[in-house]
Amino acid sequence: MVKPGEKVKIKVKVNGVQYEGEVPPRKLLVHFLRDDLGLTGTKVGCDTTTCGACTVILNGKSVKSCTLLAVQADGGEILTIEGLGNGKLHRIQEAFSNNFALQCGFCTPGMIMQTYYLLKEKGSEISEEEIRDGLHGNICRCTGYQNIIKAVEEASKVRS
Amino acid sequence: MYPPEFGYFKPQSLEEALDFLEKEDARPLAGGQSLIPMLKLRIISTGYLVDLNPLSSLSFVKDEGSQVRVGALTRHAEITSNTMIKTEVPLLYEASRQVGDVQVRNVGTIGGSVSNADPAADYPSVLTALDAKIVTTSKGGSREINALNFFKGPFTTSLNEGELVKEIVFPKLNGYKTSYVKVVRRAGDYAMVSIAVALRLKEGKVEDVRLSYSGVSDTPYRAKEAEKVLMERELNEENIKKAAEVAASGANPPSDVRGSSWYRKEVMKVITVKTLGDMK
Repeated sequence: MVKPGEKVKIKVKVNGVQYEGEVPPRKLLVHFLRDDLGLTGTKVGCDTTTCGACTVILNGKSVKSCTLLAVQADGGEILTIEGLGNGKLHRIQEAFSNNFALQCGFCTPGMIMQTYYLLKEKGSEISEEEIRDGLHGNICRCTGYQNIIKAVEEASKVRS
Repeated sequence: MYPPEFGYFKPQSLEEALDFLEKEDARPLAGGQSLIPMLKLRIISTGYLVDLNPLSSLSFVKDEGSQVRVGALTRHAEITSNTMIKTEVPLLYEASRQVGDVQVRNVGTIGGSVSNADPAADYPSVLTALDAKIVTTSKGGSREINALNFFKGPFTTSLNEGELVKEIVFPKLNGYKTSYVKVVRRAGDYAMVSIAVALRLKEGKVEDVRLSYSGVSDTPYRAKEAEKVLMERELNEENIKKAAEVAASGANPPSDVRGSSWYRKEVMKVITVKTLGDMK
């Protein structure tokens, strides 16, 4: 039991690296990633579970890290945008670049992590409708989505 | 946005969780997809969160012949991807695909959504349409509550302090057609109005029908008067229209950012006519 005001020890593996930290129970996962681990690729957009800019992969599932406590990730494995390409651009990042699928870029890390999850689940057979349905938890205010859809379609066809 | 300060308890068993919930100023944390935003917006506060996520015994889907049991901690995404639910309780399957978005469905749970009792949420109207039973557990023992008696008001249920939803029991409706239709202002939003329908026809006449709505009242609204209009009658345009009028006149929708009370009633009529019309 952790009393209000006390901190709790957590262990998480982020992008293949094991981290240990002490967090107050109210600390959100996104703040742990950004402020404690310095992984600022993951963005805070709406902060109300709507926009998806904070999307990361936790234990194989895409989640909104602004709506999860850091302590809930204890013992888990996380993949963020920094860990996607291993120093190079991942094929999804390449496809976003090729298709001009970003303008201001703020939603892009979340879009790419959610795309990564969708393609992992659905494979190359994904339809446009499935892409639109799968990305509707990620909001982009610049592109009008068309180029994002094209990028996801391209990424789905490239062999990993 | 940080939530207000709270303590955290991770129980090893359901008994430990119930003990703690009874003793302390505490709230259970399931998926947290409504709870954490509400804490962040400081709509609610609590002394402790009791994290139910380690209690894997609350996450299951069981086929029991005439009924299906779904554990409270079952994620929306697990319901959507369960092929048995898709064939045996298709109304639940249809609604589960329309909850929030993919990320929310990966984390949020059916027990959490039902306990939260948001009048615009998807499951409450499904549960009331199907006459599902909600099984609860507490230090005092177990209760089985009919969905129609469970929802008491906005974000208010008949759960007592220290009592948890353990599982939800769905009867299999053989020979019924079902449909869940939701009208939203924008993708991923709560329902402005949604309708859950279960319908059985015999020789062109309505043998049984259940009509239940979300977003049009402070609880899920089971339109029993409208059901009576259709019972034993032909499912034709005239009867459907009459039932839609009766359903809308018995509802008391709120006026809020998602739509005015008047507009919601109009939408109710339109989706009732369309949904029942498609089931002819």
